[in-house]
Amino acid sequence: MVTPVIEEQTSRTTEEELAKQARRKELISRWFWRIMGYVVFLGLWEFASGRVLEENLLPGPIRVFQTLGDLWADGTVLPAFGATLTRLFIGFGLSFLVGTIVGVISQNRWWDGFFKDATIISLTAPGLIWVLITAVIFGNRIYGPLIAIILTTFGLVTINVYEGVRSLPKDLIDMGKAFHVPNAGIQRNVVLPHLAPFLFTGLRFGFSIAWKVTVLTEIFASSSGIGFQMRIAQTLFKQDEVLTWILLFFFFALFLEKVVLQAFERRYFRWRQAVEAA
Amino acid sequence: MTVLTTPRFARLLFPVAVIAFWYAGVAVIKAVWPFAVDVLPLPQEVVGAMWGELIDPFVEGKDAPTRDNVYLTFAISLYRLLVGFLIAMVVGTIIGLGMGLSKAVDAFFHDWVMAVLAMPALGWALFISLVFGFGHTGPILAVILTGIPFVIVNVREGVRNTPRELFDMARAFGVKQNRTTRHVLVPAMMPFFFAAIRYAFSIGWKGLVITEVFGGQDGAGWTLKFYYDAHRAHGVVGYAAFFIIFALLLERFVFERWSRRVFRWRPDAGAMENVEQAFDVAGAEGAMAASAFITAENLDDFTDEHKDQ
Repeated sequence: MVTPVIEEQTSRTTEEELAKQARRKELISRWFWRIMGYVVFLGLWEFASGRVLEENLLPGPIRVFQTLGDLWADGTVLPAFGATLTRLFIGFGLSFLVGTIVGVISQNRWWDGFFKDATIISLTAPGLIWVLITAVIFGNRIYGPLIAIILTTFGLVTINVYEGVRSLPKDLIDMGKAFHVPNAGIQRNVVLPHLAPFLFTGLRFGFSIAWKVTVLTEIFASSSGIGFQMRIAQTLFKQDEVLTWILLFFFFALFLEKVVLQAFERRYFRWRQAVEAA
Repeated sequence: MTVLTTPRFARLLFPVAVIAFWYAGVAVIKAVWPFAVDVLPLPQEVVGAMWGELIDPFVEGKDAPTRDNVYLTFAISLYRLLVGFLIAMVVGTIIGLGMGLSKAVDAFFHDWVMAVLAMPALGWALFISLVFGFGHTGPILAVILTGIPFVIVNVREGVRNTPRELFDMARAFGVKQNRTTRHVLVPAMMPFFFAAIRYAFSIGWKGLVITEVFGGQDGAGWTLKFYYDAHRAHGVVGYAAFFIIFALLLERFVFERWSRRVFRWRPDAGAMENVEQAFDVAGAEGAMAASAFITAENLDDFTDEHKDQ
């Protein structure tokens, strides 16, 4: 129904109104189906628990929440997170360093040839292999997990740094030199801003693999952390605790990856949003 | 330029350097921790372990085997991988088509597909090994769960990327429906479908191995765990080498050949990319996006760059 107010306005605004209405309608339908998805899948999970599979084998979402409360009350959650995150940051920090160094010196064709196969192996070999090998050799010492994390993630950093250095804007650097900009100025205003997005991509994709490897390595070779707690729960056949630990760390890592890192990226790369939009 | 300074020489030098580092590292660690002697395998011991596995079925008159030989082991795992993969392809294609065609279906599944996509295989492995125990069901389910999100996402993108203009043109010229499907829809979907197959297969393989490690009594992953539990480091390293070799063979001899066959109608994509990069500084953005999804083609671009320049 058209109200008199709209009739007075030009036809252009009416069109805009219509488009807005259509968009709102679409948004509502989208959210409706989205919520339906949550209701159906969570409902299926809750229904299957105790009916399709025994409740001990498949605890429902409500039971998982209760277990989370119990674990939190025990005080096991925070120390486990602390241990895992420390390992993750040290391991991935070293890996980032190694990956950056390899990427930079691979500009030299000789070193490129030398590290080519190392990078490919790092990108393709499953983390499980390194985790088991280092666990056999180093046992519960800290070196094993760190080496496993470095070997599985440095390749991703390397290829990004490599691409970044290779595509440095030579003309801008030449211009800087021609106008006698000091070397530090060129590094700060040309080289670093150009490399930053590549480093960041390496960071983001490396991180998404690093947290998975960290937990895996804790399962085999450590006596603290989330992986260790999962291992205990699995050995004791406490499926509800297994599920709780998995989901807890899963959501935490997703939060770091999707929310924190992406917010960081948006903040520091505001100037290149035009490029992304194009 | 002498031979010593060529990149090819450096590439060949790498394995030599690794083996030298290996011997030196073992010597150093033995000096620091004398008790670590048993767990540090030397290269010849690893090769010996691998050779022992390979000739195992041909050795006469050995005792009753405690585990399967390497051929049977990989056959069992490959069977599970194939079954899980086929189910994931069928179900994933149906859901992906639905999500590509309807916004409601897309909204319904979207968050859950993304959650399953980000879930580590380890999570499924721990959960599945407790629920299903030993046997085929658990590992097959692990392959489905780890592989299916890649199928769904790729098929959905494929549907969204079909060229509308070509459909309109076909309709304008009165081309029959089945011919349009055969010559427009299928070729347009093919690259996405192919990416789906490739990811589902390689990710499913990793999920399968981890699940076999935690809940299995046979298969490739279980045998790796067997050596780990027996604390035989040379067996662990040797079996890990089998994994890498298996993955490389699959990549080189199955996927690359097949991909060349399926895409023979397309101009050489790699060559075109290189031309673009040479003339376009902004090509770097593309390179960055490409590194997000490392396919074998990207890897080869990355490694063969000097050949083309």
